Amino acid sequence: MTGRRSSLATIDAALGAGTSLPRDNGELVFEEPWQGRALGMGVVVLDRLGVPWADFQRHLVAAIASRTPEESESAATAYYAAWLDALEALLAERRLVDARGAEIEGE
Amino acid sequence: MTDGHDHHHPRPASAVELRARALEALLAERELVSTDAIDAVVELYENDVGPQNGAKVVAHAWVDDAYRGRLLSNPNEAIAELGFGGAEGDNMVVVANTPIVHNMIVCTLCSCYPWPVLGLPPTWYKSPPYRARAVSEPRAVLREFGLELGDEVQIRVWDSSAEVRYLVLPMRPAGTDGWSEQELAAIVTRDCMIGTALPVAGQPVGA
Repeated sequence: MTGRRSSLATIDAALGAGTSLPRDNGELVFEEPWQGRALGMGVVVLDRLGVPWADFQRHLVAAIASRTPEESESAATAYYAAWLDALEALLAERRLVDARGAEIEGE
Repeated sequence: MTDGHDHHHPRPASAVELRARALEALLAERELVSTDAIDAVVELYENDVGPQNGAKVVAHAWVDDAYRGRLLSNPNEAIAELGFGGAEGDNMVVVANTPIVHNMIVCTLCSCYPWPVLGLPPTWYKSPPYRARAVSEPRAVLREFGLELGDEVQIRVWDSSAEVRYLVLPMRPAGTDGWSEQELAAIVTRDCMIGTALPVAGQPVGA
């Protein structure tokens, strides 16, 4: 992998207050391993493609707004589910991967 | 190929968890991510995420005997007192090291781990060799971690499960008299609380 890894501080700054990573007393909250991997995937993909975090944040705002949380769902589950939605939307927009259907073949 | 990522206790994976796995597989296929790269990020953030909560719990127990008592007798509530806890940390058991007993934790079935206090488990914690050998030959495993215990020290191995998660309360090392709680917390590493290391009093670090 080339390029520098986004620091948590970079991500925090880009996400802002409204879509900030779930935390408890300042520490990140991962209730289950997939939530950490969802975050990791986002970081690797954005760094790899050089996508600004602001772009991702826009998708995340939309994903959170359009999602109806399930009743039994925890805040972190809801957040990282929206995170996956946002990542999929960003990839689809850039015509890289369509996770909701078939892969989009190369440009 | 996805081995090592399906390490939760046998329980049905939720729909969203399956989605996360599917997306990861798709991205890996497109060579946009690799399992290693994700692991590296998770590991990198591990220190950010990680064991500070547990370290604060341990340091608080070192300076406050009453808290130590509560921590051992009623860990969930004692940990919640400091503002930590939540999912998967609900059935905590804290096991205290003594001059003659050393505790270490493992999850022989998969990788159950006290997330809320220790963050994400290290890769080796999830590895089959650690999971098997921690039970069959703990002393040898500890030696490989650089921890040589005297013959008089009994080793107790605690097998975590979906129901019960353990946290090791190490002994406060000599040479830390007068240290602040914050300075103490800084020497309580993740491995100390898994039981594969002991806190070492170097120079106080942190403010």
